[in-house]
Amino acid sequence: MTVGSAQGANSVKGAPKSVAKVSIALPTGALMPGALRLLARAGLARLSAQELGRQLLVDRSNIRVILVRPADVPAYVDQGAADLGIVGKDILWETPGAHYELVDLRFGGCRLVLAVPLASKLDGPETWPPQLRVATKYPRTASAWFEARGQAVEIVRLHGSVELAPLVGLVDGIVDLTATGRTLKENRLRITATLGESTARLIANQASLKTRTDAVQAAVGRLREAVGE
Amino acid sequence: MSSLGPLHGSDSELVGLKGARSVIPRLGGVPGFRDLLPAEAEVVREAQESVLAEMRRWGYRHVITPMIESTEVLELGLGAEQRRRLFKFADARGEVVALVGERTVPVARLVAGKLRGSPLPMRLCYAGPVLSTDDGRFHQRRETYQVGAELVGASGTVADAEVIALAARCLQASGVQRYQIDVGHAEFFHGIMDAVKLPDEVKSAVRVALAARDFVALESLLEGTPLRSAEHELLLRFPGLRGGAEILQAAGGLVRNRRSERALAELAEVQELLVAHGLVDVVSLDLGAIRDFDYYTGIIFEGYGPEVGRPVAQGGRYDGLLARFGRPAPATGFVVQLDLVWEMLTRASRPPALPRIDAAVAWTGSGLKTALRLGSTLRLFGMRAVVDTQARDQAQSKAWWQTVGAVNLIHCRSESTVSWTARGHSTRRLPPEQVAGRLAGGLR
Repeated sequence: MTVGSAQGANSVKGAPKSVAKVSIALPTGALMPGALRLLARAGLARLSAQELGRQLLVDRSNIRVILVRPADVPAYVDQGAADLGIVGKDILWETPGAHYELVDLRFGGCRLVLAVPLASKLDGPETWPPQLRVATKYPRTASAWFEARGQAVEIVRLHGSVELAPLVGLVDGIVDLTATGRTLKENRLRITATLGESTARLIANQASLKTRTDAVQAAVGRLREAVGE
Repeated sequence: MSSLGPLHGSDSELVGLKGARSVIPRLGGVPGFRDLLPAEAEVVREAQESVLAEMRRWGYRHVITPMIESTEVLELGLGAEQRRRLFKFADARGEVVALVGERTVPVARLVAGKLRGSPLPMRLCYAGPVLSTDDGRFHQRRETYQVGAELVGASGTVADAEVIALAARCLQASGVQRYQIDVGHAEFFHGIMDAVKLPDEVKSAVRVALAARDFVALESLLEGTPLRSAEHELLLRFPGLRGGAEILQAAGGLVRNRRSERALAELAEVQELLVAHGLVDVVSLDLGAIRDFDYYTGIIFEGYGPEVGRPVAQGGRYDGLLARFGRPAPATGFVVQLDLVWEMLTRASRPPALPRIDAAVAWTGSGLKTALRLGSTLRLFGMRAVVDTQARDQAQSKAWWQTVGAVNLIHCRSESTVSWTARGHSTRRLPPEQVAGRLAGGLR
């Protein structure tokens, strides 16, 4: 622990408050059960989804758990409102920040894919039109991926039911997350490319790692060990 | 709903706009640019003055460099990513210019140009706003306020320690209650990268992963390589390579290359010098500090305060920059982020209050001249006094007093007597010079 005071006539003082307590932001939705199991296995906190769902913020003697929407986890961690966060890699592609990405937690596996209607002629890059129209909840990731392949793309940013967009002729295809591929199949879409493979990650605030190293590193170590189990 | 900004397209259906032909001015300003309201402006300005004053106490001379620089000059010192983030435009002569995103490069231009006749070492300090087109860089802000100091022409650990100690004292001067300084060394990393046995393309991927602080990617890159060395271990443990002098010993046992070993020796020297500077438990060593390694060539450091998840001060040695301007010289320096100082001060247990206004001076009839004289007298004593711009009788002046928010109300009706009301006291009638005397003496 190194937050302290300078010597000399004009010294500063004050013991840092709650040095040992670590705060962690967890995502609502698909990753929450896995995140809660991991916290329990690591011996950091035993929480039920119901308990956390009611309160959104649970304070224990050694840990504070904050429940936020998946896309908001990086914001909480980057700004220092949480020391640690559990978040899908797909969110990190979309919102890169100043956090440290420390551990692959190996749950919540899914793929970010380019999918087109079954009847579509589109397949590999050689079949793409000069300007591709794609609907997605991941505009940043999708445009970077197409740009890296020299493909001009028009991104239509949607907030839900992305699968619908190609079926009604809004776009040529979609870039979306899929775990089992079932939703895509149900909507008569087929995968033509994988942009990336995502799993849950542990991220950390840069200042937390430096100003409260012992407590934060201890929590990181326990979570890392719990992943292997 | 109310209309809050410029509206595009057909907005005639919105409440308050039906039939309106005039355009609503953009009262909120441009996104990413902030107005500093009195409470914040006062704190930021005061922090800036205190930090500059501390720098001048250490013999640093204040320079003011322009808001705009030629892109040719900035490109000599900035990487591709930093150049991309500059606000650029063409001036009337067709030259492409940019709004400055930092001021170390302009100071280097000064040292190699207009100050080329001045002997080295040179100590310079500066303050001002810097801009970025990318709101991610300053966390949703595109303009931020920095104060910086540069020590040009001095190599060695004594100069490194001076700049770190100055940064610590500047944070203290700015009013931040608790802070810590993390000291690292760019050469420690370079030495590891030289020594680690990896194909070139993997090495560059390792650099990219480290710059993005992506240790998951780093781990998978290093896992795929057959040879494992102590350097592999060090890279994987990068975010944890932090602590007191013991970390130097631990790392010294692992590295087997000259560059890293020399870096560890310099860190040990700097730490000793910082103790002599009077800085003991605010300094940590951070061998895993990740910074722009193309720019920094030696000791690097970051200052952190409480409750804010980003470094409030940053700096280090950059011995390569001045040569690009034709006056090769070693250099080290740092900046303090005033916006973050403000965030820390307002989150502290006793946030700074807006300085009070001491007196609201009201008048009616021939009392105007008395009011103006009294205002001058109070200001002469260093008090803040507001004189009313219109006549009011005593009852009306009470309401005006509230809007001014002053501690005292003085109502002037003639040359000889005024009515004085201190907050929480009853009104007294006294000669004006007696009121001024009592206020200056701190009496109620």
